[in-house]
Amino acid sequence: MAINELTLPVRHKPALRGVPVWPAVTGALVCGAPLIAVMGLAIFGTWTDYLIHIAQTRLMSYVLNTLVVGGLAALTAGMGGAVAAWCIARYRFPGCSWLEWGLALPLAMPAYGAAYAWYDLTQAGGPLGFLPTVNGPIGAGLIFGFTLYPYVYLLARETFSGQSVDAYEAARTLGCSPLGAFWRAALPMARPAIAAGLALVIMESLADYGAVVHLGAPTLSVGLMRAWAGEGSTPDAARIALLLVSITFIIFAFERQQRARARMTNPAGHTRPARPVTLGGPKAWLVSALCALPLVLALILPLGRFGWRALNTHTHTHLIESAFNSLMLAGLAGLIAAAFGLAAAYALRSKKPLAVFAARLAGLGYAVPGAVAAVGVMIILSGVQMGLDGFWHLNTGSPFPLLLTSGVFALLFAYLSRFAAAAIGPSESALSRVTPSLDGAARTLGASPLDVVRKIHWPLISSGTILSGLLVFVEVLKELPATMILRPFNFQTLAITAHNYASDERLGEAALPSLCLVLLALIPMIWIARTMVARHKTPSGLDNSGRVQS
Amino acid sequence: MSLPRLLTSTTLACGLIAILTACAPRSDQEVGEAVVNVYSARHYSSDAQVYAAFTEETGIQINLVEANGDLLIERVKQDGLRSPADVVITVDAGRLYRAEQAGLFQASDLNGALDQVPATLKHPEGKWFGFATRARVIAYSAERIDPSELHGYEDLADPKYRGRVCMRSSDNVYNQSLLAAMVEKQGEEAAEAWANGVVHNFARPPQGGDSDQISAIAAGQCDLALVNHYYYLRMARSNDGDVKAQADAVTLFFPTSETEHTHVNVSGAGLAAGAPHREAAEIFLQYLLSDKSQRAFAELTNEFPVIETVQYDNPSLAQIADFESEPINVNALGENAGTAQRIFDRVGWP
Repeated sequence: MAINELTLPVRHKPALRGVPVWPAVTGALVCGAPLIAVMGLAIFGTWTDYLIHIAQTRLMSYVLNTLVVGGLAALTAGMGGAVAAWCIARYRFPGCSWLEWGLALPLAMPAYGAAYAWYDLTQAGGPLGFLPTVNGPIGAGLIFGFTLYPYVYLLARETFSGQSVDAYEAARTLGCSPLGAFWRAALPMARPAIAAGLALVIMESLADYGAVVHLGAPTLSVGLMRAWAGEGSTPDAARIALLLVSITFIIFAFERQQRARARMTNPAGHTRPARPVTLGGPKAWLVSALCALPLVLALILPLGRFGWRALNTHTHTHLIESAFNSLMLAGLAGLIAAAFGLAAAYALRSKKPLAVFAARLAGLGYAVPGAVAAVGVMIILSGVQMGLDGFWHLNTGSPFPLLLTSGVFALLFAYLSRFAAAAIGPSESALSRVTPSLDGAARTLGASPLDVVRKIHWPLISSGTILSGLLVFVEVLKELPATMILRPFNFQTLAITAHNYASDERLGEAALPSLCLVLLALIPMIWIARTMVARHKTPSGLDNSGRVQS
Repeated sequence: MSLPRLLTSTTLACGLIAILTACAPRSDQEVGEAVVNVYSARHYSSDAQVYAAFTEETGIQINLVEANGDLLIERVKQDGLRSPADVVITVDAGRLYRAEQAGLFQASDLNGALDQVPATLKHPEGKWFGFATRARVIAYSAERIDPSELHGYEDLADPKYRGRVCMRSSDNVYNQSLLAAMVEKQGEEAAEAWANGVVHNFARPPQGGDSDQISAIAAGQCDLALVNHYYYLRMARSNDGDVKAQADAVTLFFPTSETEHTHVNVSGAGLAAGAPHREAAEIFLQYLLSDKSQRAFAELTNEFPVIETVQYDNPSLAQIADFESEPINVNALGENAGTAQRIFDRVGWP
């Protein structure tokens, strides 16, 4: 209790004075610029009666579908992700070392890919036609839940592994069943991580266009694309995008408020991680099957369908070149995002209003459908181009080289602005585990702010940072609209190749590039999973007791 | 990975970007060189073949960006005067209309080659033209529908087919263009009555693509649907026995009566207003109308050539090619696209 009281005054002080936050703030503002451009387009674009028309006709059904799809996705991904993470972190069962990283793989399957495959499998006359057809808002919500649960899984697993076993054991001692103790002690402590994962799940589901159109679940993002494609009004599309962003913003403002109320740092000042329990018998196999289920539904069955179709189709070439391009873009974006996410997490921790505003603004880019985000990027780039042209002309007599079509700069900018949330979330969640009292203790012992970051924080948050990089890596592998429109000439990626075929209803030809996409995502995932697992096994990661939990 | 190593790799990455940016080709310096920059919303294997043959025959290199039509238009707009685009290609007349309205095209008669294209399939002032057409037709169950009872698109709205019609979402541009053509021909009110009738005949909420509607008919979920002809032909020519069997259970009906003809849309191209390589671009556009290209579109993507005299080796396509298309200029599809979409919204066709 005494320790707990001691920590209280430190809590509300801005941590780490002296670590500069301005680079992160600048970065976040730059990332948020395309969203500002979209807002500008919404406000200053031509006003027509389209919004009135849509309000009178379909707005309500868009909003309802959006709520159903987002809610169901969050529910499925939250439950699936958290339970899988708990099983992996606390139990040993057949296949668990394989599932530990395998469970993250469905992230590599674009939601629209899974949607096409499941619809193809379960529609009337399909091989699984005896099942209810996967369609409508419920089908779409489930598809998002199963393809996006790894966000929750990855963040929650990280937390459960590092979580002290004290609370869980106390709950068990007080008579809770293992399930009850999980529900009442372990889960609430992982709430920041689960919330950060769910934030990504919901934003991505709401911003999706391909899957919801195919499954017949028109959400707001469909309404937005109709304003653009049918009515030909980009400003109205931007307005509906803002509505979408506002909904997301409200959900997360609410979540953050809840989270702030229940602070989950460990007052004991030390952690005593659990030793995993080895399960035996039918129980072990049951847990194996349970954990493998999401993987089968989200990845193996859809890929199997693609593969089966591919066998019956003549396939094509250029895959190696596309794979190289995908890997280069995703790798670069992942590295930059990891660094940016870390910096932004510190900026958020400083609680400086400008820093918090900038980081939250940058994070909102994720809630905007990719195509609209791409328009925001184009507006910014063309503005910058005009400025540079003028400046360059004065000095050299010729205009500045084109920003678009002249390399991957525009693409990386677009990715960072769109996926800033995925970059910031894991680092922020990891940093939230670093108690303020740790800072205080280190500073009292004479450590400089940078020392604190390097020696105390980094070992605790490095996996979160690497996770940021990984999430952005995988997102960029799958990303479509921005890549399609901002890429240099004659530049293919795997996602574009797969999408071109799938959108033309050629599933068989889309299969091979999709397979390659998943294989590419595998490489960093295996590496990262191994790094993480190895670190958890080092002596410093384990606490003194070495007791086996029962 | 330690913090210093992470920082080092990030710095290296940033350096790499700088190099990549610096080394990338600068389109400005290519003016006058034999190159044409193509923005295309198509991504068919026939195109790759046509482009390769073009480069081989003319020595002109093609720089290609493929993306969705709306995004392409937005990009050319944002690029403004500095746009490197020479040619913009889309798969729908509505998009070509919109690009033209935004001032993105310039007129050209392609040294007379444009005269070969029927008047209904090109912009009245020659700012863009169709180089291949696709018909949107009725697919019906060969088993459950008597073709002698079919007359035209109005059948889809006939109350006797209640609960027997499968449709794709009205987000789909092909549906929009079909309704836009009806607005042009019969007026907004009649078009709305038709759409309303179709909605009442839905066998299920709109979902899936064109091929999925064909599969649904084959599986007995419904009896009638609207599809683009080439999806059907692709299924009918498939090596996959199951897919072929689905197509075999379905037949296409091309509306051809005194009052109504088959609705066609175009894959079309236009010369960009600020084309930096105008001459090469015109040669390229002409090439799209050459015998070789027209043949490739017919044989590889099952599209109808716009030049009727072109001979091609595709018996399945030739078999259905004999139909009369609606004698309205496809430009009208763009003019009425907004009206069509609002009708869909009002009648509740998702």
